[in-house]
Amino acid sequence: MTDLLSEAPSAPLSRLEESKAVFCGLDLASRLDQLGRDGWEALDETTLTVHLKWLGIFFRPVTPGRFMVRLRLPNGAITADQLSLLADWVDACGEHGSADITTRQNIQLRGLLLEDMAPLLTSLEQCGLTSRQSGHDNPRNITGNPLAGIDPLEWIDTRPLVEAIQQALLGPAGPRNLPRKFNVAVGGAPDSFLLHNDLAFLPALRDGELGFTVLVGGFFSAQRNELAVPLGLWLRPEQLPTFTLAVLHHYGLHGNRAARNRSRLMYLIEALGLDAYRAALRLSHVAFGGDSAELLDHDGSHLVDRAPRDVCGVHPQKQPGLCWVGLNVPMGRLQAGTMAELAQLARRHGSGDLRFSESQNVVIADVPSERVQALLAEPLLAHFPASPGPLLAEAVSCTGNHYCGFALIPTKSTALAVVEELERRLELPEAVRTHWTGCPNACGQPYMGQIGLMGAKARKDGRMVEAAKIFLGGSMQADTRLADLHHKGVPLDDLPEVLEELLIEHFGARRRTATPSERSVSS
Amino acid sequence: MGSRPCSVAAPAAPSGAAPAFLVEAPFAPSDLPSPASAERWDWLQRLRGSQLALEPWLAAIEADQLVPDSDLLAVLAPGLDGEGVVRLLRWWRSQAFGAAAADSVDFSLPQRIGRLRDPAVAAELRLALSDCPDPAIRAVLLPLLGHQRCPDDFPLLRRDALRPAAAPVRRGALEGLCLGLSAWPLAELRTTLLQLATDLDVPIASTAVDALARLPHGRGPLLSLDPRRLDAGVAARLQRRLRRLPASPLLLLVHGRAQGSIPVELESLAAQLQQRRGAPVLLRALTDPQPADLPAFDRPLWLVPLLLLPGEHVRQDLPRLRRLLQPRAGLRALPFLGSWPCWQRALAAEAGCLARDPSLAADTPTLLLHHPVSSPLARRYLGHLSAITGATCQEAAYSPEVISESLQNHRGPVLPLALAANRLTEVLTPRYGAAAAPLLSRPGLQEVLFQRLEALP
Repeated sequence: MTDLLSEAPSAPLSRLEESKAVFCGLDLASRLDQLGRDGWEALDETTLTVHLKWLGIFFRPVTPGRFMVRLRLPNGAITADQLSLLADWVDACGEHGSADITTRQNIQLRGLLLEDMAPLLTSLEQCGLTSRQSGHDNPRNITGNPLAGIDPLEWIDTRPLVEAIQQALLGPAGPRNLPRKFNVAVGGAPDSFLLHNDLAFLPALRDGELGFTVLVGGFFSAQRNELAVPLGLWLRPEQLPTFTLAVLHHYGLHGNRAARNRSRLMYLIEALGLDAYRAALRLSHVAFGGDSAELLDHDGSHLVDRAPRDVCGVHPQKQPGLCWVGLNVPMGRLQAGTMAELAQLARRHGSGDLRFSESQNVVIADVPSERVQALLAEPLLAHFPASPGPLLAEAVSCTGNHYCGFALIPTKSTALAVVEELERRLELPEAVRTHWTGCPNACGQPYMGQIGLMGAKARKDGRMVEAAKIFLGGSMQADTRLADLHHKGVPLDDLPEVLEELLIEHFGARRRTATPSERSVSS
Repeated sequence: MGSRPCSVAAPAAPSGAAPAFLVEAPFAPSDLPSPASAERWDWLQRLRGSQLALEPWLAAIEADQLVPDSDLLAVLAPGLDGEGVVRLLRWWRSQAFGAAAADSVDFSLPQRIGRLRDPAVAAELRLALSDCPDPAIRAVLLPLLGHQRCPDDFPLLRRDALRPAAAPVRRGALEGLCLGLSAWPLAELRTTLLQLATDLDVPIASTAVDALARLPHGRGPLLSLDPRRLDAGVAARLQRRLRRLPASPLLLLVHGRAQGSIPVELESLAAQLQQRRGAPVLLRALTDPQPADLPAFDRPLWLVPLLLLPGEHVRQDLPRLRRLLQPRAGLRALPFLGSWPCWQRALAAEAGCLARDPSLAADTPTLLLHHPVSSPLARRYLGHLSAITGATCQEAAYSPEVISESLQNHRGPVLPLALAANRLTEVLTPRYGAAAAPLLSRPGLQEVLFQRLEALP
């Protein structure tokens, strides 16, 4: 460990890095109660906007005084009781309260006051949840197969692996001050597309033994988008936590802390070269008690060969007699009432086990076959359909300009309105994945969409109006590729027409035949 | 105001040299790519990472040469100091007042720049609100004033929340109260929120209930709301908030009787309380040989000494018990019951009521009978109690003969200073009947005690 430390570069720190070095945001946990009582007058700007994120608490510049809390949900798994608790907190925020399912199978709560933080974090802990290190320069929520443990197609149940990695990262040896955020994911099924992560473990065979091949360096940003590349190492499942610690420790020591726009892992890999990086990780792995000889070489081939499934609908589990029922949560937006009702449905018809998917939808697990019809008849499914239209099912969206200062358009409401309009107009042979994001920061992952849309401005009739750039061609199939820019700015008013033509031209859509009543209305 | 540069983190310039940011910063407002330009995002990100000098940007906005679009504001806002925010607020107000149509005003701008808590910003908001009748503008500025968390602004926010006005204004004022919640005087805030909780505007009433639940010991005020006076949705919300505010366990310390037995009135009180609070209510008599032998709880235990006089039990036995219980995490202890002002007022009301009862020799002062005391403190307390209640305090030994003798010349009502039946009340009953009932058998006193105990956290 000492040797590794001595190798640390001595480049000048950025201002942000200097403030991060002063103290760790986790130290604020013991002060939350006092801050809630006395107000946050004592907090300087950096503490308020940076350090609190180590506890998962986000000051939102667009809603000053109304905070966001982002949780950690390893593998996107949550119980009905946990969801009920979160629903109650959102409910207590009244008209300011809402929650979003994120593209990392996670959930974030909005509308909270700082006075809520101490009791909220205590209640999270009491029901087995945490928001720790879910923001800023930390290892973010670890994703896995949303159907883990119930999936007839899965190679391996990712839940215990993801949980073990989280335990390691939040434990005493875990990182507290990384140069930048860091995404880790574990794949367990043939459709586990994970190449947008800094560190991805994909199921892979080596001499007939099932383990994981390691891919590194994937990320999206405003400046650059990269898919992860094979590192050339293969791990047994039990090695994942220690190896992840080793990767993060090495990144913490050697990542770029001088320029934040060049600090994601891929830049470090490029600076060192892949072979040298692999060799350095072997050393780091040994420093964490691992055996370098156990890190076996691998050609990077893996068992993931298709795009992620649409989780919506009724599907048989691998357990006979049980089904999972996937519900579409339009744009991942939840309100207190729908959260509480979802929890109730999971208890009433399933085992109380729920999962969030990266497509911002929800899965109710363990529904006995004989209860499926009763579940499908529940009133909530009028809002969260089990059989959404082919566009709605996989429409993914960032939060938009209602909560984010960078977003140029109201992403979620625009996406929902446009998708619903297109589904009224068109018939599609199969689902088309659209990814909507409000700005080039690309939180909505537009480059992964078959159609990607990014908030922009454009001139129309001499006026500057809200618009969207269009990207086409993203694929998460075996022939993975990122979407390319197709149009640099379509006014939002014109978006339905432009997308309608695109869907007809590229995705086999056909215009619906208008009914007589529709014809008379339109005439 | 407008002449002083409003920059943030600008490096100090060496004497005689131009400030570094003027030399190095290539970013001028006139160079900002148009919102439709593909270069704009990268340009703004470079501006964000630069040593940002804000003065030219503020000046350009004030001169209407630059539109403060949201992406530009996202870059400028983190660097604004109080003066910069004030200037942008003034510019925005001039735009808002001068606008021909409401939809041409960006009502999100104040919120996007209003994150900074600063005396100059607070003063500007006060000034703006002092002469602003426009409800739309008022509704935007009131939350920002609350966000400043200056206790002096509580009256303004309270007034706008309570007074008949456009709903957005009242809601804006209430949001201001919520954003500064812990900055306001607690008692006045509680009263205001209780009033708003019964408002006919359902969002206002709902928000008030949610805010009450966040106050220290919020369970009590919530319990004081009568669900029948609330909108059905607000009443349901009240129940949801109460469910998440579980009551703490109570330990009622009582005098007890011989061999540690506890009078039935007290057992009944504890049972009812336990049912209403949904949390354990334990009873322990001072004569209990193991008063500190209690189960463990996951919430703080409240010790409630239901003792009426500062006698030896209060001065010696109670501190001893507290020491025994102290190792328990989160022990909270209340003062002895006789010292509670609400209890003393209830005693006064009861004594006054008895004194005015024509069947009990009207207009004769009530005799407050208590067991013998010896300490000067207890005597001073009795003097205080006499002054408060208007009753005459008289020591009474617990023997029929002594009591008969001491009451020989008294024609008026008596009030035994005993919570539950004891030897004193038993001695009095043959002569006074129900009029000599112990205090817990009297509805007024029972209600006061029950309400206070129910409302404990």
